[in-house]
Amino acid sequence: MAQATADTKSPGLATDAHVKYVLTLDTKTDELDYWMTEHLRLNGAYWGLCALHFLSHPEALPRKETIDFVLSCQHDNGGFGAAPGHDAHILSTVSAVQILAMVDGFEELDARGKGKAVVGKFIADLQNPDSGSFYGDEWGEEDTRFLYAALNALSLLGLLSLVDVDKAVSHVVSCANFDGGYGAKPGAESHSAQIFTCVAALAIAGRLDLVDQEKLGRWLSERQLPGGGLNGRPEKKEDVCYSWWVLSSLQIIDRVHWIDRQALIDFILGCQDPEKGGFSDRPGDMVDVWHTCFGSAGLSLLGYPGMEPVDPRYCMPKKIVARILGE
Amino acid sequence: MASHNVARTTRVRTEEQRLQEIEKINKYRGLEDQIRSQAALGTYTLQLYDLTTKLLRLNPEYYTVWNVRRRCLLSCLLSTTTDQPASDTQDATPGAKNQQSDGDVLQSEVAFTMPLLMEFPKCYWIWNFRQWLLSQAILRLPLPAARKIWETELGLVSKMLNRDQRNYHAWGYRRYVVAQLESPELDGKSMAEDEFAYTTTMIQANLSNFSAWHNRSLLIPKVLEQRGSDDKARAAFLAEELDLVRDGLNVGPEDQSLWYYHQFLVSQIVGDGNGQSITPALTVDEKITYLKREIDEITDLLEDYDDIKWIYEALLEYNLALNRLEDKSGGAGNLQTWLTKLRALDPMRMGRWKDVEQQAK
Repeated sequence: MAQATADTKSPGLATDAHVKYVLTLDTKTDELDYWMTEHLRLNGAYWGLCALHFLSHPEALPRKETIDFVLSCQHDNGGFGAAPGHDAHILSTVSAVQILAMVDGFEELDARGKGKAVVGKFIADLQNPDSGSFYGDEWGEEDTRFLYAALNALSLLGLLSLVDVDKAVSHVVSCANFDGGYGAKPGAESHSAQIFTCVAALAIAGRLDLVDQEKLGRWLSERQLPGGGLNGRPEKKEDVCYSWWVLSSLQIIDRVHWIDRQALIDFILGCQDPEKGGFSDRPGDMVDVWHTCFGSAGLSLLGYPGMEPVDPRYCMPKKIVARILGE
Repeated sequence: MASHNVARTTRVRTEEQRLQEIEKINKYRGLEDQIRSQAALGTYTLQLYDLTTKLLRLNPEYYTVWNVRRRCLLSCLLSTTTDQPASDTQDATPGAKNQQSDGDVLQSEVAFTMPLLMEFPKCYWIWNFRQWLLSQAILRLPLPAARKIWETELGLVSKMLNRDQRNYHAWGYRRYVVAQLESPELDGKSMAEDEFAYTTTMIQANLSNFSAWHNRSLLIPKVLEQRGSDDKARAAFLAEELDLVRDGLNVGPEDQSLWYYHQFLVSQIVGDGNGQSITPALTVDEKITYLKREIDEITDLLEDYDDIKWIYEALLEYNLALNRLEDKSGGAGNLQTWLTKLRALDPMRMGRWKDVEQQAK
């Protein structure tokens, strides 16, 4: 496989600008949007921290403040809300666990927070005992995103035994479609982001044997458009975040070579703001931390020089996942 | 934090604009603080409910505030009898009164979310909240009233899908609403025929609507089962579907949606699909006849279009399937020709064509 390089047509990766961009995110308190997006704060911290790791600047965020903030979002039931004063939800809980994993903070979760076991119980209680699926919170929405979040967090905490993994696996299988993809629930249309959640969940459960890898790989590889970027469903536009969902799924089933790597690298690099930092969904659009995370994750997976290798199942640095899982 | 389709601009604020924004922030945070401090007391009052109305109009993504609103509805607007379905309530007078007021409350809540949903059609939390409201209708209202709310909801979903034919939330929500309307809780019966007809309408409006093709593939087994279709009727049905998709391919051979649906039909013929088959009773010889006909039809497309990769990919795949049915080993007839075309027309997926060639050997 040829070494991935920055094409001469593209600007190189503007690492310094991206690091600076992530670090200034939490200073924009005089902008209304900062307050209007507080319901995503903990997810945002995960996206920002991930981007810094992939850009090989993991120490840029202060560890203690990071842990303090994460723990300040925890409820007595073990679950985490998006920010202090926000209700607990599985989506912010998985971000909390992933952040703590990245800053090696599980001991502090036990010492200063409610402890790993309580987090595990919060998540385990969200499993639907009949279907094996997971709810997002006490109000009962079900989606394969939540199932993935549960298996992701519980595996990092070493607490997968708290849930019925076999039932969860059966539920994922029931979300498979004739085109090889997966949807948000049984009967739902195949969608790249949901495919990532399903395939990564099966990978964590060690059940990739249940995936029709030929068919899925074929569908995923057709997501790449002439501009090099990947879309989320047939006949939709390309987007940096979908590029990650597709790419990581292809990596999990060992078929990244079914798409044009260099074209995707060029597309992602074309979505950066080389001066002020950050990545956008498509070239020329507003940057945000979400696309900055998945843009840099994509470049890392594609072997772009100087980047920290990413684990496609967790969207976290490979070496951290390996350390925690003892792989 | 995750913006889509917003052009990159450099934001320059005058000092006056900055101060105006800070004023807005203070107002927003003031409202937020009031909600939080009242919710922290655990008293979910009408006053708190009114505050959630204000905040959610500013920011419908604030999931915690939707939760606060639900708690307010449960504690001071909806009646307290919830566990028994409304239809079981024997005690006519107070029950009926509660039902009427519950009905009014739920209708007014549905109306509240309407403009928000139109403005933010991809916001998960609005869809979730509506779903919760409608489930409350089943628990609390007399059956005809509950059913009417759900029927109205199906009308709304159709409206949303007319505005955005591929809205993922709306299609998922449609399947959910239909499942509820079919359920015994709403004294329902199968709507598979109507929903199948709906996919026909959507496809006729736009052949590239894969969401509609997908839904169609799910409805077919139900429709055939309910029609009590025998083998002959099933064969006729399959022929009609094949005609429909082939007519589309004749004018739009680059349409991925059509090819995926064609692949679905072929998987039903050769029997390698996961789900129920349209024509379960086909003999191997019949399968071969069907498949050969499809291959001939697709080969005919080459007369008008010789530079569409999907045609070569279909020929390759279907001929390999034919080989398996005929129990022949080795590559399909023109394998190398098609692969050469595929490499030339679709170099982005070169690695895949290489793997396909390896496997076919």
